Amino acid sequence: MKNKSIITKTVFYLVIATMVIAILIPFFFFLSTSVYSEYEVYEFPRRFIPRTSFDLKIDWVDDKYDFAVFDDEINDYELLIQTDDLDKLRIFLKRNLSIQRTNEEIDRDFSVSKNGEPLLITYKKDLLYNYKTFFSITNNAGKAVLNSVIAAGFTIIISLFFGSLAGYAMARYKFKGRERLSLLLLVVRMFPAVAVAIPMLVYLIKMNLDNTMIGLAIVYSVGNIALTAWITSSIFTGINVELEEASYVFGATKFKTFIKITLPLAVPGLIACSMYAFLAAWNDSITALILSNNNPTLSLVIYKAIGSSSAIQLSAAGAVILIMPALVFTFIIKNYINQLWGEVKL
Amino acid sequence: MKNKFKKWTPYFLLTPALLYYLLFWIRPVFSAFIESMTDLDGKFSLEFFIKVVQEPMFSTAFRNSLMFALISVILQFSIAFMMALLLNKKFKGVNLLLFIALIPMAVPPAAVAILWKTGFSTFGWINNILITFNLIEAPILWMTAKGFNALLFLILIDTWTVLPSVMIILLAGLQNLNKEYEEAGLIFGANKFQVTKDIVMPILKPTIVTAIILRMIAAIQIWMISVMMFGYGRVPFLVERIAYYTDVVPMLDESYKMSLTYSVIVTIIVMLSVVLYLKVSKKNKEEVEI
Repeated sequence: MKNKSIITKTVFYLVIATMVIAILIPFFFFLSTSVYSEYEVYEFPRRFIPRTSFDLKIDWVDDKYDFAVFDDEINDYELLIQTDDLDKLRIFLKRNLSIQRTNEEIDRDFSVSKNGEPLLITYKKDLLYNYKTFFSITNNAGKAVLNSVIAAGFTIIISLFFGSLAGYAMARYKFKGRERLSLLLLVVRMFPAVAVAIPMLVYLIKMNLDNTMIGLAIVYSVGNIALTAWITSSIFTGINVELEEASYVFGATKFKTFIKITLPLAVPGLIACSMYAFLAAWNDSITALILSNNNPTLSLVIYKAIGSSSAIQLSAAGAVILIMPALVFTFIIKNYINQLWGEVKL
Repeated sequence: MKNKFKKWTPYFLLTPALLYYLLFWIRPVFSAFIESMTDLDGKFSLEFFIKVVQEPMFSTAFRNSLMFALISVILQFSIAFMMALLLNKKFKGVNLLLFIALIPMAVPPAAVAILWKTGFSTFGWINNILITFNLIEAPILWMTAKGFNALLFLILIDTWTVLPSVMIILLAGLQNLNKEYEEAGLIFGANKFQVTKDIVMPILKPTIVTAIILRMIAAIQIWMISVMMFGYGRVPFLVERIAYYTDVVPMLDESYKMSLTYSVIVTIIVMLSVVLYLKVSKKNKEEVEI
């Protein structure tokens, strides 16, 4: 009996460990890739943990700097470039080693080696170099972040307004066609967004809303209004009607009761709805590809970057930026995760 | 008078949402169906359906989409269910596990693709790990995979993304389950397997069926990871074809019609899955009531 419990315990922790490792290892290496310098990307095998600094050796030979980097694989310095051109050195440091130094700093440091002794120096790597470069070399990357936020903002506003009104009606009133309405909401939720986006292109062009964020938000909201109605309906059902009735007894109007009593109680649920709307807009790219190709969102920019640039570390940096808000918001709504899978319980 | 007003209030509250759906859902989808059944001059014709179906990529895309959805969902749910059964007890750190398990699902598809591209590229971290631990001598060229192997890659990536969350959903379902049912089964002499099959599964079935259908619908619409890993055309999918006609082929009337027709086909497949789901869940309801 005791043996058996040891085995089950072992299996138990083995399953957990396998899962945690399988999730975190790819994530770890992905993050590493986003801070590698060009030089480290081409090292093979690469270091598992990216460098934070480089040990350099500079030698003044034949009126040129011999510029070498310490490589622990061969346990010696590897000669990378021979030049006396400060601009060349500066650009080399920046592009290949992610080290940001001005010409003056390089001249001041390196000229010591002209006395005959080779100079040994450690330069710190700029760990955010790939992130900065992603924004400077990718067209409209900054604008794209703003676009994503705006599209998400419009989606939240539209879905909350239309969705919560419907949700309130479903929770508080009995009416004909109620069953059919919840069926309709289910169908809308499951409806492929791409099948709305393509025909919507014609209408958006007519309304001059193609390549705009409001146009995108209109399409994102289709599924999100249904989700919002669904979630808010269960929230309002959960809020005791007696509280509202007590408020009427004390002479409050219907509107005042809603604002003062019902709404504050519903706030956590409404926040969850907003987060879902945000994520839907932030993570999408097919709708953006169809409707806003000339004014892309961040997700679309990253999708396009992988096709054009071969520098995987830059794409990785862009992807990390894309992940951050999505990760934060997912954790905020983690208590509502069942909603995402069609459960209506709260 | 007041009563009459009250009777109309719900409809009044519903009107904005219904109008929205009429304008931005019914109208475009309806026009898509009409458009897909006309030629470029606007006359009734199945020209574009025939063009799409005769396209060499279509049958591969169709098959890939269905295979991807079926295999990944079966794989994910069976493994997740086994894992959930193994983990079904109260333990410390369950919140931390939940936190970690949610990470992959939180990663946007574009980032998932790049994450795995950093791994599967020739000098990427997967080959690096294998070489560092002397498991291989030369890098494996993962990205040259074709056909079923490439599809399998995408299924594995999708499984990494989805499996932990599915596991959490099922685990939550198991932990909310009334323990007494299981205990009663055990007292009456059933073994653990029988209890799982005859008591746990039927109670969890509605949750599982809903989750499976939502996953299937999402899986049928896969495109981005395929394109970002392998480029257009290597592992074609139905929605990948839509992206192809929007992104690669210049936006002409002809290519617009092609992507439109593909979108109608995707809609039909998804709606068939929804109908199937409703049938199954209705049957479930009846069984429970009996």
